[in-house]
Amino acid sequence: MSDFNPTILAFCCNWCSYAGADLAGVSRLQMPPNVHVIRVMCSASVKPEYVFKALSQGIDGVLVLGCHIGDCHYLTGNHRTAKRFPLAQKILRNIGIDERRLRLDWVSAAEGEKFQQVITEFVAEIKKLGPNPLREVRL
Amino acid sequence: MAEIAFTELKADHLLTTCRGHGNVGPVFASKGEDVGEVTLDVPYQLVTILSMIYPWVPQGKIAIVARRCDEKALNELVKRGIFDAARIAIIGLACDAEQIAKCSCSDPVPSKVHIGTPNKGVDSDELTVKLQSMSSEERLNYWIGQFRKCNKCFACTTNCPVCFCEDCVLEERTFVAEKGIPPGLAFHLVRSFHMADKCIECGECERSCPGDIPLLTLRKMVLKDMKELYGFSPGDQKSVSPLLTTLEGEPLEGDDHVC
Repeated sequence: MSDFNPTILAFCCNWCSYAGADLAGVSRLQMPPNVHVIRVMCSASVKPEYVFKALSQGIDGVLVLGCHIGDCHYLTGNHRTAKRFPLAQKILRNIGIDERRLRLDWVSAAEGEKFQQVITEFVAEIKKLGPNPLREVRL
Repeated sequence: MAEIAFTELKADHLLTTCRGHGNVGPVFASKGEDVGEVTLDVPYQLVTILSMIYPWVPQGKIAIVARRCDEKALNELVKRGIFDAARIAIIGLACDAEQIAKCSCSDPVPSKVHIGTPNKGVDSDELTVKLQSMSSEERLNYWIGQFRKCNKCFACTTNCPVCFCEDCVLEERTFVAEKGIPPGLAFHLVRSFHMADKCIECGECERSCPGDIPLLTLRKMVLKDMKELYGFSPGDQKSVSPLLTTLEGEPLEGDDHVC
């Protein structure tokens, strides 16, 4: 499906990933324009509820990006994130939504290139998966 | 029943189910009061009733008739500091084979059996096995069909023994729209996530659902994942556990508002 343009949400933590996204932009790294970046104070403040709501309303993929383990500005925030999201993925799989539509990754403020790589890979993966089946469902 | 509660367990109050007016309902009796016609053949979430009346019973030990699932629910609530363990005495009730089959319960025997004969648990749930053999597309269609029957009555949360949040996240308009029935997939996904670290598989959500959505199956699937990921099953007596709101080694006390 080459004409399919996915809509993707990326929750970026203020201290690392958002700065990483900024660096990628300032460095003029090329990446697909399908991603809507939402700045949050910490990856742990992204409730899985937000992800569930986004996916149930037809968003094709959700990225949650935080600081590397050990680098959290709030000390243990990303440990909590790392604990919640694998379970959220399992819940999605149980219902029948591909768990690859939700991805958790770590991008530090110095990793503009990694940000580009994560975005490019994720967009390619979602393009392969196709549109979110819930987009057409009126529930 | 009164003898076990007041003589053997030395409790001051008794919470059990009784028959009256052609129905089964909860009865709370203090020492010396007439309990009535005790009946235990209908599963009833007495822990939910206990959560409601607990603040109004300032003193004395409360004896409660509990199946294995109720016992686990009490453990979960004691962990979070909602009940004082010293004030609760458990009258263990072993489920009969018919009830175990209905719940596909794997762990039906309470730690101390006072009433009934212990029966073995069932290992697998027919519907869970069927769903796991489906492709993800078929599974999604199955669940969409089921969730279409939801009319957002909140019976699953109201009757749940371990739903204790003061302000339910499902009543927040951010996640579930104020208008519109059925409430959408997010409602059930959010509830699945919130129950993951405390569901004790009593099946009350499924029994009370007017749309007959197989909610117990959904819970069982999540609990299986929880066990695989973190080796954690809700209902044990550890005061620290790998839950979703705390990290390993953190105390749980005061974790009374996870939403």
